Amino acid sequence: MIEHLQAIFATSIIFIILLSVTALYCMLVSRNLIRILIGLELLIKAVTLLIALTGYLTGRMALAQTFIITLIVIEVVVIAIAAGIVIGAHRHNQSLDVRTLRNLKG
Amino acid sequence: MPALLILIPLLAILALNLPWKSLMNRLAFWVGLALCLVQTGLALQPQSRFWHSPSLWLGNLLLFEPSVDHLSLVMFLAIGIVGAVTLFVCRYSTACAGNRFMVINVLILALTGMNGVVLANDLFSLYVFLEITAVASYILIAFEKGRDAFEGAFKYLILSAVATVMILAALALLMLTAGDLSFAAIQAAIASSPHSRVVLAAIALLMVGLFIKGGLVPFHGWLPDAYSAAPAAASVLLAGIVTKTTGIYTLIRLVTSVIGYNDTLQTLLLFVGAASMLIGALAALGQSDFKRMLAYSSISQVGYMVLGLGAGTVLGMVGAIFHLFNHAIFKSLLFVNAAAVEQQSGTRDMNRMGGLAEKMPVTGWTSVVAFLSTAGIPPLAGFWSKLIIIVALWEAGYTTYAALAVLASLLTLAYFLSMQRRVFFGKLAAGFESLKEGNLWILVPACVLALITIGIGVGIPWLFETFMLPIRSLL
Repeated sequence: MIEHLQAIFATSIIFIILLSVTALYCMLVSRNLIRILIGLELLIKAVTLLIALTGYLTGRMALAQTFIITLIVIEVVVIAIAAGIVIGAHRHNQSLDVRTLRNLKG
Repeated sequence: MPALLILIPLLAILALNLPWKSLMNRLAFWVGLALCLVQTGLALQPQSRFWHSPSLWLGNLLLFEPSVDHLSLVMFLAIGIVGAVTLFVCRYSTACAGNRFMVINVLILALTGMNGVVLANDLFSLYVFLEITAVASYILIAFEKGRDAFEGAFKYLILSAVATVMILAALALLMLTAGDLSFAAIQAAIASSPHSRVVLAAIALLMVGLFIKGGLVPFHGWLPDAYSAAPAAASVLLAGIVTKTTGIYTLIRLVTSVIGYNDTLQTLLLFVGAASMLIGALAALGQSDFKRMLAYSSISQVGYMVLGLGAGTVLGMVGAIFHLFNHAIFKSLLFVNAAAVEQQSGTRDMNRMGGLAEKMPVTGWTSVVAFLSTAGIPPLAGFWSKLIIIVALWEAGYTTYAALAVLASLLTLAYFLSMQRRVFFGKLAAGFESLKEGNLWILVPACVLALITIGIGVGIPWLFETFMLPIRSLL
């Protein structure tokens, strides 16, 4: 039984790490503001999977489920506000390029 | 019934958004002020039955039973005071009543979130309230829809969201070892297997996430942008209390009651603290934007708090918490002054100003009190907290760090003297002949904060006995 769980943990954690590396790459490389938000979403998805995995492994599925539902709600709020900020930046700069956000420095 | 500190502000937001628009517009400020003042008053009475009686029917709406100790009380006090000051600044700097109404709503939401962060005693609720506070502060930063405001808010949002993801990952890993999310269960799990790789990874992720939230070097990139681009009221709230609650208070709470000290963690805290302290101070020296300079100064002062925490002794922690409170007071005061100067003169560029104290005497002199306190000049409040931190470092054997703290204090004095000379002292700069002092909405909070700074400095023996020493029960 323990070996079985460990096998699940090993395979899932590799997938989660791959997903988060993809997400971080997306956030770091893309110059489009929307793509950065998509990268952020992917990153949050990876961590959601991690929580589901821990819930399964520790046998606390109920706790993990409440947690994940709350997480999804909060994530939607954050992304809605982020999208609003991106729209506002677009109105000012007429562009979604992240290089236009260089006004503040020093 | 401390749960009411979360529920009553939430209900107040609901009530304020009932359909009687014009009445609510007028009422919003007073409702917010009443909430802040009641909270301040309660926090000043640690013996009050409010803190110790169990939750009644309304309090049961929360799914956790909050616990309160002296550290929480100090935080509630700071949140109440800074919240009230923010309301005054909002009243002063936001002309449109409709906008003001919305800002006050979001502000009460931020207060709810911060009270929740302070009350939380499991990682799940901690995460939820951290996010409530963060969301409220993104909205506050971007509220006036300026180009810079969107830029600052976007940077803050992305970094803070990444920090949240790190905290969540840490939380999942800790749940894997402990099987539960309450502080007590996780503390027991960490104590039983302190060297397992999962626990170490979780602690590392947690630390990095909290360092980003608190704006510590090397994760400080968002902080000056967000502070300087935010509207006046939002920058008072952010600099005074939001990043200190979400970053530093959470760090103190988790280190003391969940993770526990060990050598590696202490080295990390000391190093990051010293780096923030020095780099923040050096960067502040080179700024010409008033609010940006204050933001870098904030990074430097946060470095002191983390340094005090890293000393790993009771005295160090008392110093860190005391400095957190003092910082909330004097940094709010400096941002209030910056708001007054910006509103009256229309600029934040310090090179264009000069001699403003002649036209704005109250702002000029309260700013002197605030910066002397920040730089640690006796007998003001900042001197005592810095002294406690330095003595704690010395006693714990970290003499190099203690010397660095003294050095950074000199740097603080240097950049603030330069600020004071460029903005308030000297000859009146051209173009400011018709400058007027701000109205009472900004002068009252400035004077009250200055009086608190002087009062704490003079009344330190009493304060140390009643508020600071009980904190030692934490360790």
